[in-house]
Amino acid sequence: MRILIVEDEPDLLRSLAQALREEGYAVDTANNGEDGLFNAEGCDYDAIVLDVMLPKMDGWEILKRLRKTKKTPVLMLTARDQPRDRVRGLDTGADDYVVKPFDLSELFARLRAIIRRSANKTTNVIEIGDVKIDTAARNVLLKERPVELTAREYSLMEFLALHRGEVVTRTQLYEHLFDENESSLSNLLDVHVSNVRKKLGAEFIVTRRGHGYCIE
Amino acid sequence: MKIFKSIKWRLQIWYGLILVVVLAGFGFTAYQLERGRLVGRIDDELHRRVGILANALHRPPSRRSPGDEQPFDRPPPGQFSEDGPPGQNPRPPLEFHLPPEAVGLFGTNDLNNFYFIIEGRNGNELARSENVPQSEVNFQHRFNERKNVSNLDNLPAPRASLNFQDNRGIFERLPSGETIYVGCSVLPESRELKMTKLKLAGFGGIILLFGFAGGWWFVSRSLRPIENISAAAVKISAGDLSQRINVAEAESELGKLALVLNSTFARLDAAFTQQKQFASDVAHELRTPVTVMLTQTQTALNRERSPAEYRETVEACQRAAQRMRKLIGVLLELARLDAGQEQMKRVRFDFCRIVADGVELVKPLAEERGVKIFAELSPLEITGDTERLAQVVTNLLTNAIQYNKPNGEVRVKLASQGGLAILTVSDTGNGISREDSPHVFERFYRGDKSRTSGNTGLGLAISKAIVEAHGGAIEVSSEVDAGTIFTVRLLS
Repeated sequence: MRILIVEDEPDLLRSLAQALREEGYAVDTANNGEDGLFNAEGCDYDAIVLDVMLPKMDGWEILKRLRKTKKTPVLMLTARDQPRDRVRGLDTGADDYVVKPFDLSELFARLRAIIRRSANKTTNVIEIGDVKIDTAARNVLLKERPVELTAREYSLMEFLALHRGEVVTRTQLYEHLFDENESSLSNLLDVHVSNVRKKLGAEFIVTRRGHGYCIE
Repeated sequence: MKIFKSIKWRLQIWYGLILVVVLAGFGFTAYQLERGRLVGRIDDELHRRVGILANALHRPPSRRSPGDEQPFDRPPPGQFSEDGPPGQNPRPPLEFHLPPEAVGLFGTNDLNNFYFIIEGRNGNELARSENVPQSEVNFQHRFNERKNVSNLDNLPAPRASLNFQDNRGIFERLPSGETIYVGCSVLPESRELKMTKLKLAGFGGIILLFGFAGGWWFVSRSLRPIENISAAAVKISAGDLSQRINVAEAESELGKLALVLNSTFARLDAAFTQQKQFASDVAHELRTPVTVMLTQTQTALNRERSPAEYRETVEACQRAAQRMRKLIGVLLELARLDAGQEQMKRVRFDFCRIVADGVELVKPLAEERGVKIFAELSPLEITGDTERLAQVVTNLLTNAIQYNKPNGEVRVKLASQGGLAILTVSDTGNGISREDSPHVFERFYRGDKSRTSGNTGLGLAISKAIVEAHGGAIEVSSEVDAGTIFTVRLLS
């Protein structure tokens, strides 16, 4: 899962990015409105955390322009808690709204929710054969027994599971699993895929040669 | 009583009282006029009959013929007693014949039932019509009382003469000594007057009713603006400050009152909105550092960290806390200035020195940004609070440096003009857009909607408060991409 954070307070931006990375997300950051919009339009993020008060271009404007081209789920971050502001945010196309100061756990839950909704899932639990994935707790059960996955492996498997039945290209996987700062070695992906297969069964992820991967 | 406290009712009661008095006066006059008319008519009739009887009394006997006797042969309206009433001394009879033209004038065939009594020189009754009523028993008495009076014409009627079942009559003593009394019943007139009274009362009542209804309508109509005003005021006191009174007639007294109230409400509303905005801004400004502290600490506590990471977290928290402390300090200062608690010291000092000190103070910042400061100062004594005014100077200078272009210039000029000390601080920055410039002195207002500058957004608001507490003025003029000029005017 790759997420963009647009926030102008440096300390907040840094800690948010760190926390989300530790949650297993690939995180890009932008500290002003223009950069934020540029990033958001240039890449298919799984979600965007967008502050309202931003230099150069405010959150409303970014949202308005972004909605012309993309349906990326957007979580607005703001210090204004008037219903008027919330209504405006949701009406402009935001998927959810978090008022500062917030709890990190709540922010994570809301992020998961908007990502889940954008993948047309209604619950946190995805069942594929013997495998049961709890996206809230970020754990995986194989035949009711927990399986240890690294954060990256989990993200890879979760992304494929959310797009179950679709063929996901390597480019898409790169875009959603690694942020802009990571040098994505071409074989790193294959390593993660084979590790997941070792842990959850060789048939769990199917390779479509020349296209990508798929969970059926 | 509640009813007497209502203006509407009080107006209505006064109005009703006046209406009643006017109607009563009018009715009384109309009644008196009508009564006078009726009495006059009856008196005319009585006089006419007296005249006729007097003529008949002295008609020469030769003119009498058997034919003339005829009226007396018919059921006679009058009876003639040639010998006088029984028991009286017989006297030479005076012949009396009711003339034919007078026959119809007396008797029961007339509603007024005219009757007569004629008395001779000696008080003996000469003639009396048949229809003299029983109620005239007092007649003899009255007659006797009066007949010795020399001029017995038009004897006024008794006071109650026109009352129901009463009679009216007049006497006349002829030069030859006879006395003629003619009377009549005033029953029809009494009835007529009673009818008039009823009609007047009826019309008066109807007019009063209409008057009341009209008055009620009119009073309600003229008081409606007051009701509108009070309704709006009630809503406003309930907290809805956006309410305004609907002003339909701006020219009337109430319309003017409504306009005045509306402008008061608008000012209240504006002040309230500003206050609410301020509180919300304060909350907003405090929210960001609190969020920083929360996310920093929650992230750090998620797992074991290296000492360096903890240090970083603690430092971030410290920055956030310091920002809050600065904000709280500034807010407190503003609140004191607002409440007028912050007494300005009144010291005579050289403003030039304060400005020069300010320039020295901000020089490092200017050098860091590559901004040059040019000062053109002339010694100028003013009275005021040195510390506060120094704060204004540094504020303006810091702003001019921070919002300048790299390698820009800041010009400071202090001059005296018309008894005023005029301080101008101009920069060569990006300027302030036309839509922003009226708001730069508002609290938390930033043309750039961000917090990166590290300022509280209150500097100019505080400067303005300080300058105004000194009785001075501060204003801004700006041109986009050319620069901004702040001008402070103080009494020297």
